[in-house]
Amino acid sequence: MIRYALTRLSLLLLGLLVASVLIFLTLRVLPGDIAQLIAGTNSTAEQVEAIRERLGLNQPLPAQYLEWIGGVFRGDLGSSLLTGSSVTSELAEKSQVTVPLGILSLTIALLFSLPLGVLSAMRRGRRAGTALSVGAQALAAVPVVWAGMMLVVVFAVWLGWLPAQGFPRAGWQDPAAAFRSLLLPALTIGIVEGAMLMRFVRSATMQAVGQDYVRTAAAKGLTRNTALIRHGLPNVGLSVITVLGLQVAGIIVGAVVIEQLFSLPGIGRMLVADVSARDLPKVQGELLVLTGFVLVVGFVVDLVHRVIDPRQREAT
Amino acid sequence: MLRRTALAATALLAAGALLLTACTGGGSSPDPTTTSEPDTDASAIIRLVLEPGNLDIRETAGAALDQILVDNIYQGLVSRTPEQDIVPALAEDWEVSEDGLTYTFTLREGVTFHDGQDLTPQDVVWSLTTRKNTPEWRDSARLANVATIVADGQDIVLTLTAPDSSLLWNLTGRAGLILKEADTVDYQTKANGTGPFVLDTWRQGDSITFARNDAYWGEPAQVAEVVFDYIPDNQAALNAALAGEVDAVTGFDANLKEQVEATGDFALVLGQSTDKGTLAFNQASGPLADQRVRQAIRQAIDHEAFVESGQSGETLYGPIPSLDPGYEDLADVAPYDPEAARALLAEAGVEDLTLQLTIPSFYSTTIPQILVSDLNEVGITLEVNSVDFPTWLNDVYVNKDYDLSFVLHTEARDFENWANPDYYFTYDNPEVQRLYAESLAATDEAEAADLLADAARIVAEDAAADWLYNGASVVAVGTNITGMPSVNVNERLNLAELAKSDG
Repeated sequence: MIRYALTRLSLLLLGLLVASVLIFLTLRVLPGDIAQLIAGTNSTAEQVEAIRERLGLNQPLPAQYLEWIGGVFRGDLGSSLLTGSSVTSELAEKSQVTVPLGILSLTIALLFSLPLGVLSAMRRGRRAGTALSVGAQALAAVPVVWAGMMLVVVFAVWLGWLPAQGFPRAGWQDPAAAFRSLLLPALTIGIVEGAMLMRFVRSATMQAVGQDYVRTAAAKGLTRNTALIRHGLPNVGLSVITVLGLQVAGIIVGAVVIEQLFSLPGIGRMLVADVSARDLPKVQGELLVLTGFVLVVGFVVDLVHRVIDPRQREAT
Repeated sequence: MLRRTALAATALLAAGALLLTACTGGGSSPDPTTTSEPDTDASAIIRLVLEPGNLDIRETAGAALDQILVDNIYQGLVSRTPEQDIVPALAEDWEVSEDGLTYTFTLREGVTFHDGQDLTPQDVVWSLTTRKNTPEWRDSARLANVATIVADGQDIVLTLTAPDSSLLWNLTGRAGLILKEADTVDYQTKANGTGPFVLDTWRQGDSITFARNDAYWGEPAQVAEVVFDYIPDNQAALNAALAGEVDAVTGFDANLKEQVEATGDFALVLGQSTDKGTLAFNQASGPLADQRVRQAIRQAIDHEAFVESGQSGETLYGPIPSLDPGYEDLADVAPYDPEAARALLAEAGVEDLTLQLTIPSFYSTTIPQILVSDLNEVGITLEVNSVDFPTWLNDVYVNKDYDLSFVLHTEARDFENWANPDYYFTYDNPEVQRLYAESLAATDEAEAADLLADAARIVAEDAAADWLYNGASVVAVGTNITGMPSVNVNERLNLAELAKSDG
């Protein structure tokens, strides 16, 4: 087990290193640069060049990369060329919006996808089961943006229960207001992600129903549903944990879209703004952290999988 | 079962949305003026579209900075009204010598910066001198004709090498801003000016808050604070307005007039602006080097359609909008006439022309749609290349690698670009350059404007570009708000008079 964990960890670190190179290079391919943006549309080539020089954009790429990655190893992810603020502090500030948003979205997604997914599998062939399955299919196909707009129209504009956009300026010092402002965005992501998860839970459950151990249990006198719940669901849980890693990545992407739509000052909106400002040192720091996060979630999921699945434990 | 419910709910929602629109049809537009007393403790929330990347007024280009920082935080010796008149600011008064070579400004006494330091004549001399001598500072070239800047008591005297009819105007902008000498403030994220508002907080990616400057030398602001809420999307801004989360919405879409006025809490106000929807032609080489081809494109375009689709603004047929000196109606130069356009193309021997339009992605897709269909009508295939703004800067502005380009040029009095052959417009006409130089050198305002008008007519006749429309400032203002500027708000948003009542 420990050997597996170590191998897996070194893979994770290698993955991060490769990601850092890819992130760095991809960003350098983007046309346009920050010096030109600062100088604007009434500037001479000399003025732009002076700004470029001051910002260190004229150094050769390998030198820029090494400087950055060297900083990363010392715990310095870099800083904004526009405001001088560090990537670490910016991420810390913006994660006060994005992390609760992500957790809330995931909770909502799990809360309705798990029971409904299992239910729809157990009731398959009957009207309720079919309805649930088709409903999930339809919801999963809904664009996040449209879902968000509809929720805003109903809950913010018509009913006035929840804010239509924005995050309180006092932040979490006003916990109730902060929570309320995240509810609609989280519901939007949660419904769309949850619908996808529900389809997965349904098919995993159906698969479990057909397994020998469930049939054996049923043959020993348990009702089919009890057999499924006692012996089938733990296996469903395993598959769900595996797919959760992917869901987390999906939620991050969802947050980028939803934070625009709801004008939330989170990591997603910051990332989009930084890319359009070509603030590359900041973008690459942010992307590295996000990539790292997704990789770590994958790592943890793999470990957890090992720990709770006896078959895999024995294999090592 | 659930599926049916979901479908029904969806249908209900859609119907409801329609209803929401339909109900508002007959609503009369509310009067934005109010009878109740202004609340001097009020906080006014204003929706803006574009957040600045940083707040460095010295170096960072972009109307997003000028819009909020000039007049409200930083001031110059002189300022401009929305109607583009030049008025005193930090100078109580000024005098221009007969020959146009000496400008004498009388500096106000008792002015302090936001950090408590006094404004001294030396600060003015230092600010203007440093601006002039630092090429990386925006608009430094606008002080090129200034030879000396000296202080004599409270008098600041500028002597020029040649008369410059644009100098006073230039001093109302970045070129004329007065900073504290050798200030240690971090200009990128903080500010230290002399204006009626103090920068309170900047929550990046969200909002900027200004607080009233209680030590202001003039009339104090009528609201305790102003919050600029950056909401890029117009639909989200509409929702914010309907939910009562903002007091005024700038950069709005006039097509949403009925929706925003539905509750009676907002009124849509249209103001003039110097926003010029500029369709640039790369005329350095290729088919667009032929004036007939450019003229054909201009005449193939139905300019009314742009005004119609935006429900705001007016048509514009030359480089100078009606707010600027030198404006004249040039509609006769390029009337909408697809037949004439086809004839011009035939005369030029152009067949099966395919052109690329490079357009930043934040503009409405209606613009390329109209262009594609209008040009298709006369046999020109237009391919649309929608790019993000930095890419536009790189491809079009820097490398001049484009056929047609669209951007909204918001700056007032920017005719200089037509007299600059190196600008991305690729327009080079010595006659226009001569007229522009003469206009600058003129000591009489009317004469300067006449010369500009002559130059502008030539630019239009050469079909140096096409101007799709002259945009309007579209602002939805809360009915309890007064003093909200409505003219040219993309350029400047002077909030000295803004007031909010409880009503």
